[in-house]
Amino acid sequence: MDTQWPRWEVFKQDTPSKPHQAVGSVHAADPQHALLTARNIFARRPQAVSMWVARADDIFSWTKEEIAEGQLKAESHEARGLQHPAKYLAFRKTSHKRSMTFVDYVGEVEATTPEEALRKAQATFTDAEALAWWLVPAARVFKSDPSPQTIESWFAPAKDKTYKQQQYYATIGAHVSKHKVGRGVEDEA
Amino acid sequence: MRPEVREALIAKLTALADDEVILAHRNSEWTGHGPILEEDIALANIVQDELGHATLWYGLRQALDGSDPDRLAFFRDAYEYRNCELVELPKGDWAFTMLRQFLFDLYETLWLEAAQHSTYQPLAEAVQKIMREERFHLQHTYAWVERLGLGTEESNRRLQQALDMQWGYAQQLFVPIPGEELLVAEGIVPDLAPIKARWLELATRHLQNSGLKLPINPGYQPTSRAGHTEHLWSILAEMQSTARWDAEAKVW
Repeated sequence: MDTQWPRWEVFKQDTPSKPHQAVGSVHAADPQHALLTARNIFARRPQAVSMWVARADDIFSWTKEEIAEGQLKAESHEARGLQHPAKYLAFRKTSHKRSMTFVDYVGEVEATTPEEALRKAQATFTDAEALAWWLVPAARVFKSDPSPQTIESWFAPAKDKTYKQQQYYATIGAHVSKHKVGRGVEDEA
Repeated sequence: MRPEVREALIAKLTALADDEVILAHRNSEWTGHGPILEEDIALANIVQDELGHATLWYGLRQALDGSDPDRLAFFRDAYEYRNCELVELPKGDWAFTMLRQFLFDLYETLWLEAAQHSTYQPLAEAVQKIMREERFHLQHTYAWVERLGLGTEESNRRLQQALDMQWGYAQQLFVPIPGEELLVAEGIVPDLAPIKARWLELATRHLQNSGLKLPINPGYQPTSRAGHTEHLWSILAEMQSTARWDAEAKVW
């Protein structure tokens, strides 16, 4: 029996004016658990106002190269009940420069299959070249509670938290060389 | 502030801080041993938050009597600590740790909500900072209780076992310290009786909804915070050893 929890991709929104960005993944038992762990892993200190999670299995992804080679068929989506018109959230990667984020949310499309969603996303979001696309059925994306109380509780404490370098702890953080006295001189001196 | 009120406030702040320090240290024992990396990190976050809360409470005490928080944490013996016994019990399994954290988070959240309007301004301000973190902690442990309680036969059994052990200990959270009635009369801290009633109602509902048996015979219910289990001695020995090894240490 596979005892591993499923993997969830995490999308973090830094400020209300920025898109949700993929920041990494967590393993969790269910959507709410995934959101709770995602908050701990990815938003304890960095700025955030909202998080989304989606099971890795529910994400349909294509690279630019796969698209160029015509590998457009998404695997086994029929089995996942995705044959009827549904909303998809489209995420797009446009740069190799950032190491931490993979794709940014660009918007919604309505489609009958993931492949159609990809085609519609390609036709709709044309302002930048896509290096990779992620299409996720909207119903499979789980979002953190947008209420002010939750935003305050989940994301506000990060603003007061800072990283402290060792030097901050002046007493024990000082390197031994700073306390060295001349050769042969007793430490007690 | 009258001297006897000041004395009582110092004692109350110490009790609040000591609960946080000992619970944080207990939970820190999971670091590197969590059931999954994500939960290991999550619990370490909670630990750091609780230590931050202890720093706030000790800081309020320092403003009253000038005591150094580091001296209080690292150079007091067990008989001088004023934490409740619940937080010093060994960490047990994951169910034990999550249940204790849930019972404590629920108490703390309710206490903080009631303490928001404290007439002692520094305390009211500290409450605001702590409360938002506690709400998140509570969501996390609330979720774990539900999942373990309704998970498998084994997870339910382990959680019930933890509950049978902890239910009586948890009642000590609602035993006022000597002189606390002075603080309540001045509006500095909230009366524990209504908080206990609300805690009992909410804890019982969530635990029952999670498939656990309640009410149960609470068994041993500690009262005085001057008394401790033998576990406090060993946890302090470990926690304080570095600081006590060389109290004047200046180099590393």
